[in-house]
Amino acid sequence: MIGYELEAYGELAAGIERVLITQEQIEAKTRELGEVISRDYRGKNPLLVGVLKGVVPFMADLLRAITIPVEVDFIDITRFQPSSAQHGAVRLEKDLNEPIEGRHVLFVEDVIDTGMTLNYLLAQLHVREPASLEVCTCFNKLTHRLVDIPVRYKGFDLPDMFVVGYGLDYREQYRNLPFVGLLRVEVFQK
Amino acid sequence: MAENGERREFAHPAEAQFARILDFYQMEWEYEPRTFPLEWDEEGNIVTAFTPDFYLPEQKLYIELTTIRPGLGNVKNRKLRLLQKLYPEINVKLFKRRDIRRLLVKYGLDEPAARYRGTEAQENGG
Repeated sequence: MIGYELEAYGELAAGIERVLITQEQIEAKTRELGEVISRDYRGKNPLLVGVLKGVVPFMADLLRAITIPVEVDFIDITRFQPSSAQHGAVRLEKDLNEPIEGRHVLFVEDVIDTGMTLNYLLAQLHVREPASLEVCTCFNKLTHRLVDIPVRYKGFDLPDMFVVGYGLDYREQYRNLPFVGLLRVEVFQK
Repeated sequence: MAENGERREFAHPAEAQFARILDFYQMEWEYEPRTFPLEWDEEGNIVTAFTPDFYLPEQKLYIELTTIRPGLGNVKNRKLRLLQKLYPEINVKLFKRRDIRRLLVKYGLDEPAARYRGTEAQENGG
């Protein structure tokens, strides 16, 4: 753990038990992924697609690590409403701006957990007949995986712990931490 | 959603919450669709069986939810070991008390999640 990282985020740091993945580790892995993606997609002008909002830090860093022409777009989906008496279903709240038929699409995720969200999104994109559709995730959490998702590019496997930072949130907080930290039990047992 | 679109009666509130999350993501599921015989007496009568809570047909995955506190789940663990030995082709995933709590917290279901609160060691990787 690098002490100055936590100290710089005083108020947020109070909720963090310890740093699991440092900013330096994330930066190195993102550079590595950017190099591989740049090599694999050379001449293909890929479209990187992310789902808001957790992917924002990783997408921004990955984009800057890619050295070939590339485009980016975002989609958003409705969230599970815990207090809703209605049993609604997930749907797209913001769609892509352009058609993806014939495009090489790389779906970029912050984390894959159960795989249910990504399963829904990939199905939505697949029917639009892209030339290819692959998945890149910064973090992979296999413990609760319910849907087998083929992941072509992966940053880190996450342990079965409640973690936040680098896009990962608890109640919309902690996304801005540049590292991944273990959330204190007292925070989510309030 | 349930394969035949029916609303189900669940044996445990955690199962109802789990089904609600599956429904939200438009996942096909079946509730307790199959019982696996595990042990028989000398006359061939089934004396031990196991019925996983959910089956996800598209994933060919059975899911068992258990809210039993760690250390008290020996019977269920033994059944799962027998299941994997006798039916190696069956994929089954166990969601323990901590896993259920995590899942409920993730989806903002704080009140139901609080019912499955454990020790700190249980909560973060213990």
